[in-house]
This record gives sequence, structure tokens and C-alpha cells, in this order.
Amino acid sequence: MSELKVPTCIWCGKTIIPTEYFVKFPCPNCGGVTITRCERCRKFGRPYKCPKCGFVGP
Amino acid sequence: MTSAETYEYLLPLESLVVSGIQIGTKIKTKHMEPYIYRVRPDGLFIIDTRKTDERVRIAAKFMATFPPSSIAVVSFRLYGQTPVAKFCEVTGCVPILGRFPPGAFTNPLCPSYMEPQLVMVTDPAADEQAIGEASKIGLPVIALCDTDNVVENIDLVIPTNNKGRKALAMVYWLLARQVLRERGAISTDGNLSVPVEDFETKLTESKEET
Repeated sequence: MSELKVPTCIWCGKTIIPTEYFVKFPCPNCGGVTITRCERCRKFGRPYKCPKCGFVGP
Repeated sequence: MTSAETYEYLLPLESLVVSGIQIGTKIKTKHMEPYIYRVRPDGLFIIDTRKTDERVRIAAKFMATFPPSSIAVVSFRLYGQTPVAKFCEVTGCVPILGRFPPGAFTNPLCPSYMEPQLVMVTDPAADEQAIGEASKIGLPVIALCDTDNVVENIDLVIPTNNKGRKALAMVYWLLARQVLRERGAISTDGNLSVPVEDFETKLTESKEET
């Protein structure tokens, strides 16, 4: 049986439900980590931090 | 991190300052506060040029990871249309100039429907439709933000003057050159064959009626 990974927001840590308008992209600086941001964090312009290189966006 | 004296800008600081990329507005938002360097006596907020330079490098690195034809560059602003057209000509991205057709990202029945993987906007306030549609389908958004912009649904900010004719030309020229360097199309110290002046919107004088 394969496991189903549920995406979580990198800033608030909340589980992202499939109907939510979230975004997923590689870290703009290092590209080594996939950054997932939930709808609320995107809307309020909350920062995100790459766990690998420490880049803080947006 | 190098110190302020030894930091190497993409272009000499004088050239950047002459183009006016550091000039902000008299309005400041809390989102843009980290990118502000100082306030001028006349009330204009000045953007930190070094942060602009760093963000141009990061944005170019990010854009180079996507295929050129899957990057949409949007500009509703008149002064941004020539730089965007030139930028897309040089890098192979897809320009969307003028009014953004609603449904271009979300409605497959729309004649101008396209499926980009990355969206870049010139002004978050003017290109609100493009940002809204990109957020609905989960596309990362890069934006040129001035001191009065709100960073809503934006994933990478390039702090710069997004209203000036010369400033927009300079930023898009720098970005185009850096994207080509990251892709390996030109060497790491290579230059574009197109000068910055070609990225500027030309002003035409209207003839006075006698």
C-alpha cells in the first residue's frame, strides 16, 4: 500500500485541503526544497523560509 | 554575505541610480517596509538598491528553472509594455500586454487560454486579474513591487520602482540578462546584444496645431 502525503503549509503548518487555492514551487534561491503555501498565508503576504538555504520570501 | 563596500552589483550603482529604480512613492505598506532604505525630506520612500539587485538574481535563477514558453509576463501599465515585449523577445517568454483577458488562465473556452507554469507581473495593483487567476490555479507569481504595493498572492517580490519608464526598462534588461546567464545562453559575465535604451518606451511628441 502506498502512503498518501498530505501537503502542509510551510509557514503555519496547517494541512492543506484539496479545494484550497494553495501554491507549490521550488525554493527560488536553492531549488532544493518544495515550498507549499496555503491560501491564507498567500493572501496575507505571510513570509516563508526555506529550511535548506534560509531564504525568506516573498 | 559581502560587506557594502565589496558587494558587486549587476551594473555599476551609478547606472542603477540614474535610471531611478530606487525611487519609491510617498506611500508605504507594511509588506514593503523591509525593502525601504530611507525617507527623503520630500516624503518619498527610497528602496534599498542592494535588495533589488539580490532579488533580481534570485528571480532570474527561479525563472531559469522553468521552460521559457511556460512563463507568462503581464503588463497592463503602458510604460511596462515595451520592456516586457523586449524581455519576452530576448528570453522566449510569453507576453500579455494591455488588458488581461479574463479567463486566460482559468477558462479553456477562452480564445486566449494558456497554461503557464509561472507568472510575472509588472504592477500588482494594475495586474490584479492575472494575479487572481494565477492564485486560483496554483501558479507561483513574481511581481515588481513599489513601496505602495500590497504583497497579496505573490510568491517573490522584486522591490523596485515600477512606475518609471527608465526604471522598468532597466529592471527588465537586468532580468533578461541574468536569466540568459543562468540558462547558460551567455557567459556569466556576458552582456546582452540589445542595449537598455531599446527596452525603454519611446516618447513621441505630438505636433502642435498652428
